[in-house]
Amino acid sequence: MKRLLIAAGLVALAVISILWLTRPVGLTAEDLPGYTANRENGKRMFFAGGCASCHSSTGKDSEPLALGGGLAMHTPFGEFRVPNISPDPDNGIGNWTLLDFVNAMWKGVSPGGRHYYPAFPYASYSRMSFEDLADLKAYLDTLPAVQSNNVDHSLKFPWNIRPGIGLWKRVNLDNSNVIQLPDKDELLLRGRYLVEGPGHCGECHTPRDWTGGMNSARWLAGAPNPDGEGKIPNITPHDNGLAGWSESDINYYLSSGFTPDFDTVGGSMVKVQENMARLPAEDRAAIAAYLKNIPPLD
Amino acid sequence: MFKKLASIVLPLLFITNTALAGSDPILARQDMMEDTRDAAKVIGGMLKGEQPFDAEAAMAALHVWKKTAAEAGDMFPEGSESGHETEAKATIWTDRDGFNNKMADFGAAVDAALAANPDSLEALKGAAGPVFKTCKGCHEGYRVEKEN
Repeated sequence: MKRLLIAAGLVALAVISILWLTRPVGLTAEDLPGYTANRENGKRMFFAGGCASCHSSTGKDSEPLALGGGLAMHTPFGEFRVPNISPDPDNGIGNWTLLDFVNAMWKGVSPGGRHYYPAFPYASYSRMSFEDLADLKAYLDTLPAVQSNNVDHSLKFPWNIRPGIGLWKRVNLDNSNVIQLPDKDELLLRGRYLVEGPGHCGECHTPRDWTGGMNSARWLAGAPNPDGEGKIPNITPHDNGLAGWSESDINYYLSSGFTPDFDTVGGSMVKVQENMARLPAEDRAAIAAYLKNIPPLD
Repeated sequence: MFKKLASIVLPLLFITNTALAGSDPILARQDMMEDTRDAAKVIGGMLKGEQPFDAEAAMAALHVWKKTAAEAGDMFPEGSESGHETEAKATIWTDRDGFNNKMADFGAAVDAALAANPDSLEALKGAAGPVFKTCKGCHEGYRVEKEN
């Protein structure tokens, strides 16, 4: 009897520790500073972050800035369905406070306290500054509200168990910089911020390790396409990557969609490139400078 | 006798081989895409300011595109889905209508550019820009993601 009690106690303790370890941890209102948002910069962050690439309404005739979601992403973990992030109060994020938005972007936690799957690239967005998030939220609030319903993901076991994401976050959610740079070069620092943060380039261009996190030892060295056939290219300054591209080649590619050989951008990079084309030229120059200054990997 | 036979058979073999290679749709369309890209290089080089504007060369390049637009639709037959490291995506065969529409967009943009008969860099920009857009338009959904 005594043994049984001890065993039951141990099981209870294990369950409590697992729940504690995997619990969604968000911020509270007191954690946020006072701030007046700048919508113009929010729009810049919207294109830097490529929100519309995934969240655009899937209907053929929908407006480009209707973020009703619906896109199905076929991954090895199962099918993710991209949610509505338009300002619709019922199905979108119209009722969200700034705190809700920051918790989603930094912590991957929903207003109801659930974990988001990291297919939503908060592992990168967590590097964004509070000011940029506040500006982005203010810009998103100006977009058209779309009523489209959200569709649940249909994932395979064990990925359908959400508390598992809590463990994933403990291992992989880290908002420190990936590449160490000298503090003085403003252009490089801006490039790092854009690539590692809002641009979330590493999410596709960096291979993942066994825990499903980005393998920083192979930063931007190319990876299997997460959503179908083929490979995502190496964009480090290695011969297998961008060694043959000048900074202005990279800038030109991001603004026009053309490689130095006049091949065109293709696949999911088309939308990314079209977003990058809408950034100020100095942001593209910063991205190019950063990409030419990271470690070349084969 | 053997020599005689060889003198007949060997050239025949050669001819069939060349004919077969020439009719491999994957190799043929890869050649076509390279020609198309070379034409893009001519026009793109002018737009980018790397080459001086040359109306004749630009028109010649537009005619290469015209040829691509006319022939490309038939160069992705059933049975040519794989091999020779093809970058053709399965969607070409599963969504043939969508693919054909993209090709038609390309053809229409090329026809408009030819009709414009661009005689200045500005005019070429206006004429070729919409064509370039249709290149991406098709490569977005119908070409496999690839290494550089």
